[in-house]
Amino acid sequence: MMCSLANWPRKVAQAGLLGLFILISLAVHAQDDEFRVDSFKPVPILTGSTAYFTRVTAGQYQDAPTVSPLLLLPMGDKWLLEAKGSYSDTFSKNAQGDYNGAISYGMAYGQIDYIANRYMTFVAGRFTTPFNIYGERLAPNWIRALQPNPLTSPVTSGSGLGGMIRGGFSGTDSLNVTYAAYFSANNTHHLLATDRSTGGRLGFFLPRQRLEVGASFQQVLQADRPHSSGVFLEWQPNRAPLTVRSEYVRSSGTKGSAYWIESVYRLSQIPSLRRLELVGRGEQFFAASNLSAATVKKLGALGKDTNEGDFGMNYYLRSDVRASASYGRQFVLGRNANLWTIGMTYRFIMPMLPQGGAR
Amino acid sequence: MKMKLFLAAFLVASALSLGLMANASSAKDAPKDSPAPTVSAEQSAQNENMRVEGEKRFRSNCGRCHAAPTKFPPRMMATIVRHMRVRATITDQDMRLILRYMTE
Repeated sequence: MMCSLANWPRKVAQAGLLGLFILISLAVHAQDDEFRVDSFKPVPILTGSTAYFTRVTAGQYQDAPTVSPLLLLPMGDKWLLEAKGSYSDTFSKNAQGDYNGAISYGMAYGQIDYIANRYMTFVAGRFTTPFNIYGERLAPNWIRALQPNPLTSPVTSGSGLGGMIRGGFSGTDSLNVTYAAYFSANNTHHLLATDRSTGGRLGFFLPRQRLEVGASFQQVLQADRPHSSGVFLEWQPNRAPLTVRSEYVRSSGTKGSAYWIESVYRLSQIPSLRRLELVGRGEQFFAASNLSAATVKKLGALGKDTNEGDFGMNYYLRSDVRASASYGRQFVLGRNANLWTIGMTYRFIMPMLPQGGAR
Repeated sequence: MKMKLFLAAFLVASALSLGLMANASSAKDAPKDSPAPTVSAEQSAQNENMRVEGEKRFRSNCGRCHAAPTKFPPRMMATIVRHMRVRATITDQDMRLILRYMTE
C-alpha cells in the first residue's frame, strides 16, 4: 500500500504522458489534411542583426561589435530549418591603456521544425529552452529594450539539445493557449554545451486585453538535479503605447531566484518624438541560502544578493535601425557599480534566391 | 517528490489543453480562409474586415515583442511568418490573418 501510494505521482505522470501521445496522434491524424500551404511559396532567407555597443561597467570600458546571422530555410509546406549563430569581438582596455580584443562565437540554435498540424510543431536539434519569455523572444539585441541581460538569465539552462513539442491554439475567441515541452540531452562540447534536462511552458494570451501570463518549469537531470519554476507576464494596454513585462524564476539548487519588471513607453503621441521609446527596469536577485564561502566564490555573480535599476531610451531611425543608450546602477554587497551602454543595432533581412521577392 | 507532482500536474494540464484543442472546431476558421463567392460589395466588406482583423492580430502578436517592421515581399513574409509561428507560438489562425494583412 505504502509502495503504491509512494509511486502514484509516477503513475499519474505515465498516464498523462500516454494520454498526451494518444491525443497528439489523434490530432495529427485528424488535422493532417486541413493544413494547407498559403498562396505564397516561402523562400530561404538570411536575416539577423548587427550591433556595436560601448559599455562602461564599473569604470571598465568595452567596445563590442557583434553579428548574429539567422538562416531560415523552408522546405515544402511543413518544414523549416533555422540556424542562428553569433560572433563578437570585445575590445577592452588593459592596465597599460591598450585595447585587447577577445573573440567569441557560437550557435544560439540550429533546429528543424515540422509543422504537424495547426496546433502542433515538432522541433529537433539545438534550441533555446522554452522557459518564460526572455530567452526565446526578447533576447536578440535588436528586440531587447535594454541591452544588459536581466538577472534571471543565468538561473536556468538556456539551451537544449533534443526534441520539443510546441504550439498554440484559440481556446475561445478571447483566449489563446500556448504550450511547449522539451527533453534535452547532455552535451559537453565547449561551444554547444547543454544540460540533460526536461521542462516546458504553458501560456495564456487574452488578445482583447493584450495580456499574456504563463508559467514554466525545468528539471535538470544531472549533477545535483536542480529544478526551476517561473512565471511571466506581458501586458500592452489598449489605451496607451505602453508595454509592461515581468519574469520571476526560482531554482532549487545553488542558483537562487530572481525577478525583473520592465516598462517600455513609446512617445507616439508626440509627433516629433514618436520614434523614441523610454524604458525602465527594476530587478532583484536573491542568492541561495546556506552557500559555503567556496561555493559563493565559484558562483561569482550568482553568489551574492543583487539589486539593479536600469533606465534607457531607444530611438528608431528606421524600423530596422535603432540607437540605444542606458544607465543602470547595480547594488551588490561591497561592489556597487554603474552600468553605461550606448550603441546601435541594425536588423537585416534578405532573400537567398534571386527571385526571392517575386510572387 | 514535489518535482514529480509538478511534472505530473504539467503533463495532465498539457493533456487537458490538447483535449481542448481537439474539441476546438476548425469550422470558425474555415470561412475566414476561404473566400465565399458573393457579390462584390459583400466581398469588399469582408476583405476590409479581414484587413482590420489582420492588423489587430499583427499588433497584438508581433508588437508584443518588437517594433512593427515594414512589409516585405509576399514570399519572404511566408517564411518570416512560419518562423514566428514556431518561435512565438502564434496560432495558425493568427498566422494566416497576419500573412494576409502583411501581403496586401
